[in-house]
Amino acid sequence: MNELSASSRITYRAVMVRPDVARRIRGLSDRTLAWLFITPTIVLLLAINIFPLLWTIYLSFTNYRANRSNVPTIWLGPDWYQSILTDPDIWAAMQVTAHFVIWTVVIETVLGFGLAYLIDKKFRGHGMWTTIILLPMMLSPAVVGNFWTFLYQPQIGLFNYVVAFFTGSAASSFQMLGDVTLSPWAIVIVDAWMWTPYVMLICLAGLRSIPDYIYEAAEVDRASKWRQFCSITLPMALPFIMLAVLFRGIENFKMFDMVNLLTGGGPGSTTEVASITLKRAAFESWRTGYSSAFAIILFVTVFGLANIYVKALNKVKSR
Amino acid sequence: MAEVEINAVSKAFGKLQAVTDLSLTIGNGEFVALLGPTGAGKTTALRLIAGLEQPDEGSIRIDGRDVTGDAPADRDVAFVFQQYSLYPHLTVFENMAFALRAPIRRMPEADIRAKVQDVARLLHIETKLDNKATLLSGGQMQRVAIGRALVRSPSIYLMDEPLSSLDAKLRGELRLELKRIQVDLGATILYVTHDQTEAMTMASRIGVIEGGRLMQIGTPREIYENPINAHVAARLGQPVINLLPAGLFAGAPHGAETIGARTEHLTIARGGGDVSATVKRVEHLGDQSHLHLDLAGRPVVTLADPEAAFGAGEVVSLRLNKPLFFDAKGRRVAA
Repeated sequence: MNELSASSRITYRAVMVRPDVARRIRGLSDRTLAWLFITPTIVLLLAINIFPLLWTIYLSFTNYRANRSNVPTIWLGPDWYQSILTDPDIWAAMQVTAHFVIWTVVIETVLGFGLAYLIDKKFRGHGMWTTIILLPMMLSPAVVGNFWTFLYQPQIGLFNYVVAFFTGSAASSFQMLGDVTLSPWAIVIVDAWMWTPYVMLICLAGLRSIPDYIYEAAEVDRASKWRQFCSITLPMALPFIMLAVLFRGIENFKMFDMVNLLTGGGPGSTTEVASITLKRAAFESWRTGYSSAFAIILFVTVFGLANIYVKALNKVKSR
Repeated sequence: MAEVEINAVSKAFGKLQAVTDLSLTIGNGEFVALLGPTGAGKTTALRLIAGLEQPDEGSIRIDGRDVTGDAPADRDVAFVFQQYSLYPHLTVFENMAFALRAPIRRMPEADIRAKVQDVARLLHIETKLDNKATLLSGGQMQRVAIGRALVRSPSIYLMDEPLSSLDAKLRGELRLELKRIQVDLGATILYVTHDQTEAMTMASRIGVIEGGRLMQIGTPREIYENPINAHVAARLGQPVINLLPAGLFAGAPHGAETIGARTEHLTIARGGGDVSATVKRVEHLGDQSHLHLDLAGRPVVTLADPEAAFGAGEVVSLRLNKPLFFDAKGRRVAA
């Protein structure tokens, strides 16, 4: 009994506000309080998002090098932008990126929507299958990159073994990561394996949002299953599909970790996506000003494309 | 249009017996209303006919053909859903044209347009045809849902409380309109409602359904004047029939436990009646007044002439005039 009251007294003291603090808070208006609450977030946002962005923009006009901070910084103007936009290597990297983005998004959308459509049929054990399908997405990209290098290993890799089993050719006759034509596809396969579940999840949410009675009405209206799919399922799930495409598109445009682990941009520069070129310029050649300009170009590109896309998405939604 | 025959159909959802041994024939061009409270199995009955549910037992025939195992599309029925069920991403026009665009119909676009516009005019939504279906008011959506059924010429129209979400004025208008359309088209309609006025005014026959069982079916007049039990009697009539112990009045036949007294069975006078009752409250409705009485501790509601100025606390005298009698189980007993 004594113990109980002692502990409750402690709790009471812990929540008690010191009288002088209480007096100070009581004098504040709602507006001041609101500012008090959001200021830390705004400060943090300025410090880790806005300031670096502005600083990068500044650096992109200079000859600054992060490994030679004692060299005086000279203002160069838009020189870097000019040289980047006229550099064939950069355009090659952009093409590799485009190939990677387009194919991963297409494959992930088609497969993801297909899987979602099947899961939505609510067959026995569909909950368990959903969980199993979602597993790759929950892994760390570093882990995925590492174990796919093993799967792609020509002598002992499971991927080569399975392909060899079905095609009859020798397992070591091809190298997914070492071949100039195969390696761009190798990274597409890994990304699709890892992120199709994500697209499926979003599409599934879209399909689940279509109420059953719409299908009942269509059924009574004598619409075939195919017509129901084309004129109800697809248009009503479209905003969700487009959202998944947007997320995957942006994400893969700046894809770095997985590609870096799998191929590091090679062989040659066949899988050198823009972010790898950027990392090499920034942290291997230490051309900080140059890479800042490149980063800004990439940022503007993604930002512009995403904005156009979001406009289209809103149009579909308000249709 | 066709005759629809429901033969001893039962349907259970798990432990819940929704419809039990339902037999009902809807003649060609007939307007049948199923009247019952919420959860009585009315909607399930409609869904069984539409093919949206499969019966556990019994069979359904449309135009002489057994359609019990058929898919909804093969039955050629039109369904007006209570929750509208409009296609939210389509315009009003496309919603109404959806069924007409079914490939089996091969209907030319010009005919579809003409048909939809005709029906839209009928339902006063012709100016809304280009609007998105979900941007309409509840009443407009309901009319689109009705319109979507009316553009078709199905074997039967199945309507699930189609007027329930409309305001009183519009409901009254559409009630007349729907009846007129039905007569004009010679349409076969099975209409589910819990509103006795709708059932009484539109239906050629009313089926009273309760607890999944069809209790009685007949013309509105039959149902009103000759209810087979107290349940059915309580379904129709405004104000609701007064069910009183037989002992309160003299002259109840043998076996009668309950007297069912509607307004027209009760004559109110200032004196000289069979029993006396106290006025509790008077509700003036303009053309008539609801009189709430206390008869030996039991509430009795009846209509009174608004001219007869009864006041609360006043003692009046009641006389019974050919009331209905029911036995201990609620079954009707002949007078």
